Amino acid sequence: MRLLPHWMRSARVLIGLSIIVVIALAAVFAPLLAPHDPNDQNLISTLLPPVWVPGGDPEFPLGTDSLGRDVLSRLIYGARVAMTVAVVASFGAMLLGGVLAHVAGYFGGKIDWLIGRIVDVWMSFPPVILSLILMVGLGTGLRNVILAIILVDWTRFCRVLRSEVLVVRRRDYVTAARLIGFTHWRTITREIVPATVPLLITLMSLEMGIAVIVEAILSFVGMSVSADTPAWGQMIADARQYVYQSSWNLIFPILAIFVTVFGFNLLGDGLRRTLDVRLTAVRT
Amino acid sequence: MILLLLVRRALISVVILFFVSALLFCILRLLPVDPAARSLPPMATIAEIEAKRREMGLDLPLPEQFMIWLGQVLHGDLGTSIHFRRSVVSLVGSTLPATIELAVSAMVIATALGLGGGLLLFATRETPAEPAVDFGSIVLLSIPEFLWGLFFILLFGVALGVLPFTGRLSPEFQRPMVTGFLLLDTLLVGRPDMFLDALKHMILPAFALGIAFSPAIMRVLRSSLLDVYHEDYIQQARLRGLSESRVLIRHGLKNAVLPTLSLMGVQFGILFGGTLLVEVIYSYPGLGNLMVDAVRNADLPIIQAVGLTYCIVVLIINTVVDALYMVLNPKLRIA
Repeated sequence: MRLLPHWMRSARVLIGLSIIVVIALAAVFAPLLAPHDPNDQNLISTLLPPVWVPGGDPEFPLGTDSLGRDVLSRLIYGARVAMTVAVVASFGAMLLGGVLAHVAGYFGGKIDWLIGRIVDVWMSFPPVILSLILMVGLGTGLRNVILAIILVDWTRFCRVLRSEVLVVRRRDYVTAARLIGFTHWRTITREIVPATVPLLITLMSLEMGIAVIVEAILSFVGMSVSADTPAWGQMIADARQYVYQSSWNLIFPILAIFVTVFGFNLLGDGLRRTLDVRLTAVRT
Repeated sequence: MILLLLVRRALISVVILFFVSALLFCILRLLPVDPAARSLPPMATIAEIEAKRREMGLDLPLPEQFMIWLGQVLHGDLGTSIHFRRSVVSLVGSTLPATIELAVSAMVIATALGLGGGLLLFATRETPAEPAVDFGSIVLLSIPEFLWGLFFILLFGVALGVLPFTGRLSPEFQRPMVTGFLLLDTLLVGRPDMFLDALKHMILPAFALGIAFSPAIMRVLRSSLLDVYHEDYIQQARLRGLSESRVLIRHGLKNAVLPTLSLMGVQFGILFGGTLLVEVIYSYPGLGNLMVDAVRNADLPIIQAVGLTYCIVVLIINTVVDALYMVLNPKLRIA
């Protein structure tokens, strides 16, 4: 009776995945779901509270911001930036870090030393500082935010995966593959990568959460997407200025970021527990 | 033996620092903004900008520009801010102490919460409370300092109104200048009332930053304690009749603290970078706000200097933690 693969039966994975799917669907179908255009200003009804608070207007279920824009619509559209960055940036960081980790771990020697030292230099920059500096160099915009996150976070993958590759490389079947005449490329892609994939997937899930936070931070300080693209960090920066008039505006984007990051972390933690051969071996 | 390792570690840091500054220099030279044009009035002619470019050495090849810049930095000359028209050294010097005060308070809070939480996680192992506590630690792990900061403003600043959340000092006080470290200065000039006011302003940002970095410490302490408890010497200590708390303190914690310490080194480096956001959220006049202002104004000399300062502090933190690790690790005590 195995209707579902075993990793799908973990409560963490299921809950995490459901959260992410709901947010992803909201992002994809934003034009259908959002009651208003996220940039429509309504200067007569600014800083309205949500509908369940006295003074709320059913037309704006979660209230309006300082320019009278609908908070719910901005939240839904903001999911687009967050999810795009989460998926594309973490995939890019995985690709860059993963390739370097496999090269370093598999070939060892000088090339491993060199990649290791590059990682050392990279990691002496606090991530927030490096991403800010990169944004100054690259200029704002969605593509550059993604690029900056890739260039900052590839080290997370590189470090962890390299030590995994070192372990896998010493296994007998890898030696066997080399002995029957597999090329280096074939040994890596056919024998080593399949063994590191579980770790790769786990790291990527955690990285997606990190990417969401980094994008929110960059848009909070005004160094991310342009001002006419709604982003959660921007909404927070705007609401921070009117915190005394309306604290609701601050609560919703905070919740959105928290729930998204929590979903990714739960998924990552669940995957780590179910996909990690060592952990499952102990339990069964 | 240890001394040799320490010297080696310090030398590695210096080499890393060289490459870090080269990297920083290269990234900022990609900038589409022309620093020569920005440091002149808007009416400047093309010829004047060209002259300024030559004067600033911007027409030289990149490696040569880097060596000139590095030479100046080594002589303590970080240039002049384009926006503030002040020496960058004095700007960094006047904001760095505030950031250090914030970072150190946050580190103390993170360590206390991290160790306490780790022990709690460990104490609830294999009990019905384990899933709940474990779940709680994932929730905590999902909240970055950025969100804690905003949450605290909403709760303690706006809803309860018990703590201030902008700046470092209430406007009625005149900031004393002795060492540059405000908490210390208020005590040195004998103003306990001002000290309390400064401390109040510090509570929310320091807790926001400290709480955000504690879950990682908790989880690593728990897993290293779990590892240690698989060792035979724990069983032997119990057989010798030691109480559980004695086993934990004398044998468990003593061995679990090393991996925790090396994680804390990495975490504190990141924490120091995390001060940037907390400073922006709380309008706290430190390095972070200086950096964000500089980024918005494309003020190259400041960005370069502040970026370098962050890296230097992170390297110092990492070196100190590594040194501590070497001194505490009995395996390195041979010979």
